[in-house]
Amino acid sequence: MPPRLNLFTANKAVSALRQSTTPALSSPRSIASPIRLRAVQSLPIQRRWNSSRDGSKKVEPQPDEQTFPTVDQLPDVSEEANEISRIMEKEKRCDGIPSSPELDQGSPVEEILSRDKDAMKHMPKVMRDALKKSGGSRSFSTSTRSLMTDVQGEPKNEANPIPPNVPGLEGASDEAAAALASMIEQVQGQALEENPGLKFDPPAVPEDLRTLNFRKRYDTLQDQFTKMMMESGKLTKAQKNMSLVLDHLRTASPPQINPRRRLLGAPPASQLPLDPVLYLTLVVDSVAPLFRIRQQKGIAGGGTAVQIPHPLTLRQRRRTAIKWILDASDKRRDALFANRVAAEVVAVAEGRSGVWDKRDQQHKIGISGRANLNTNVRR
Amino acid sequence: MASSWCWNCLSRLRPTPRALLPPSATPRISSAPFHSTAVHYAQPAKKKGNSLTVMKHRQSTSLRRKKKKVADRGGRPPAVGERKALRKRIVLSNPNALEVEGMLDLSPETMVDSRLRGTVLGLPVPMIDQLRAVQAFKPKQGWSIFRRPGTVLRRDTIEMGRLFEQISGEGDAAKKGKVVKKIVTGMKGSGKTVHLLQAMAMGFMKKWAVITIPDARELVSGETAYAAIEGSDPLQYVQPTATSALLTRTVDANRELLASLKVSQKHPALKMLKPSSTLEDLAKLGFSDPAVSWRVFQALWTELTATAPAAGLEKDFQPRPPMLVAVDGLAHWMTESAYRSAEFKPIHAHDLAFVHHFLSLLKESDSLKNGGLLLYATSASNNPNPKALNIALDRLAARQAGISASSPEYPQPPAYSDADPRVLDLLQPAEKAVSPVELQTLGGLTREEARGFMEYFARSGLLREIINDQWVSEKWSLSGGGIIGELEKFGRRLRATASASK
Repeated sequence: MPPRLNLFTANKAVSALRQSTTPALSSPRSIASPIRLRAVQSLPIQRRWNSSRDGSKKVEPQPDEQTFPTVDQLPDVSEEANEISRIMEKEKRCDGIPSSPELDQGSPVEEILSRDKDAMKHMPKVMRDALKKSGGSRSFSTSTRSLMTDVQGEPKNEANPIPPNVPGLEGASDEAAAALASMIEQVQGQALEENPGLKFDPPAVPEDLRTLNFRKRYDTLQDQFTKMMMESGKLTKAQKNMSLVLDHLRTASPPQINPRRRLLGAPPASQLPLDPVLYLTLVVDSVAPLFRIRQQKGIAGGGTAVQIPHPLTLRQRRRTAIKWILDASDKRRDALFANRVAAEVVAVAEGRSGVWDKRDQQHKIGISGRANLNTNVRR
Repeated sequence: MASSWCWNCLSRLRPTPRALLPPSATPRISSAPFHSTAVHYAQPAKKKGNSLTVMKHRQSTSLRRKKKKVADRGGRPPAVGERKALRKRIVLSNPNALEVEGMLDLSPETMVDSRLRGTVLGLPVPMIDQLRAVQAFKPKQGWSIFRRPGTVLRRDTIEMGRLFEQISGEGDAAKKGKVVKKIVTGMKGSGKTVHLLQAMAMGFMKKWAVITIPDARELVSGETAYAAIEGSDPLQYVQPTATSALLTRTVDANRELLASLKVSQKHPALKMLKPSSTLEDLAKLGFSDPAVSWRVFQALWTELTATAPAAGLEKDFQPRPPMLVAVDGLAHWMTESAYRSAEFKPIHAHDLAFVHHFLSLLKESDSLKNGGLLLYATSASNNPNPKALNIALDRLAARQAGISASSPEYPQPPAYSDADPRVLDLLQPAEKAVSPVELQTLGGLTREEARGFMEYFARSGLLREIINDQWVSEKWSLSGGGIIGELEKFGRRLRATASASK
């Protein structure tokens, strides 16, 4: 939307004119409000600082892992809502735009220049030109822009009696500036309505930008499984084995799903062989444990360890499941390694494998151990 | 002027030799010592090293590791041949794959239909046993993921289909009884072996006699028995077991044809043959007794190439059909074999009677009397890469491009190279031959053919993509311009659906 962008840039040029009519528009608040803001905001910051100090050895948790019970809670919902509403509504300037630090605290260059006549002489040519031309006619044509506004047919042009650049109105620079300012506000309001949070149009990119330039040959899980099958760094051999496993899954008869041990979110079993990677993924994800059991010493005293469940990320969960599957496949009797693994994967899908028991046992321990989650280590 | 130094004084100025001095007890110290204790009173310096390297006495010092337990897999290794059978197993059907609706079969009509170009045609089910018998399918080919075997009808296939029609005496430009000799080359994965398979399928459909050598390497790699033919000059060698296997293959595949043809020539070497016996009976003589298998094969060959019956055997003579001879892996026949002569010299592959028989078909002008097709394919992955063959093939290509042998662009072996003269001589393009050897280079599929091929994957349920021109074009480029082996990899490469991977 070209007119909107132009008005944004025009805002700066006009502000030099405006400040004479409305002196020190936000000067009293610009000093007061940041201090108040800082004072209010400093409270939660201070609290967080204290909480992280006692566990000085602890690594800073990732933002998505901050749900551990040991981590201090964020301010609750109502507090947060209060804070947001205060920022969004009460801190608005007189023109209704939420205040921003550079508007509140900084002083524009034009303001400094107006005080200092000497600096005004030496100011850059661009600014001098801008000051000279700000109220007057332009040396170039603006016909294209006016055409575009006509094409778009925005209602604001009809509503506004004074077009922005009409020669002959140089004298009434204040009125023109005021009109311009009201237009800017209007357009800004519109822009906020259209794309909240975006100043400009969102860039036109293909949907899945993450995979645009970053392509992997294999699926994530397939890659992880392959690398766990690898021995002595022989990746090609592992990949060959993986293709044998997937071909086995593809050609073997569809698994008879045990109703007590279903695969997570699986399509009908008859469709699984047509998508062997999905088959493998579902098998691994279905037997993946949700947590590992941490043996924490020094809580119960007397040297006994307390079992505490510790959550795992997706990749860690899969890793555990793959390890279990590979260990179980070692006990099979098929001559080929790939056949052993494939048979074990099918066994898991059909609920026959001992891997399910391992998972159940782990979850059982975890459930009984969750009472220990909030206990602290004795010193 | 006399010196003021006397001789005695001068001699005293010379430095006294070190060895004469008593050894100094303390080392020389260049700087002043901080303390006055004599150095030799100091404590001996402690040996450096951490506590781990402290010598351990009265226990073993070797590294002890936990041994990994090996799982018991039944206590005995797999039976003899079990693993090879697993390796060589050919699976032609995947019951999980979807049945492609409206898929046509390869037939005498469809194989020359240019409207069907780019579609995948299924191999007729009754013919699959025949194709298995001549070992047309190879273990590494991806037949096992589809519901039933099928091949793409590409440009080369349609051209070959027309050739089959012409030699059989049908079609517009009939060349009945003509021999066409082709050497099929091309990049790795360009479909040379499948081209031979299509030829065999067409041969079976046209009721030709199909004789194949599925792997040329097996004849020269020293795996089968061999024996010198006495009295031959230069000395030639027969391979009775390999010949017997060839007879078995041929009879299994062409049983119907051979059973319908009666013996029409005199074979004094084969006493047990009755005049009324069929060619099948003749070939079966070589099954059980490898000693006579080479003579049986020669007899069978004379029968198949006979144009007229011998005197006294005219009764049930039927005209012999054209023949298809397909050899895969020609390059192995263009070097020394792994066999050794009695003098322990390597035997050249051309001295093996079996190999020589098939190579001489290329050289002779009317080697197949009743017409037919010779297809000798090279292999790009299993290739001994003989220099002479490469030059010979370059020469064939140059000849086809119209470069004469006297031209400076005509490929020559590099000076002082040991290019095999026998190979160069064998494939030397003759000036005015009746049926010269042609070089057929298989390239990539066109985009339309590639699209048909990829759609076959999608319709079989193996490929979960939207097949449009852009996607096909991308894969076509990535596959080196439609090399079908590479396209197949794109078709069967496994991807998870988006929901599962995230």
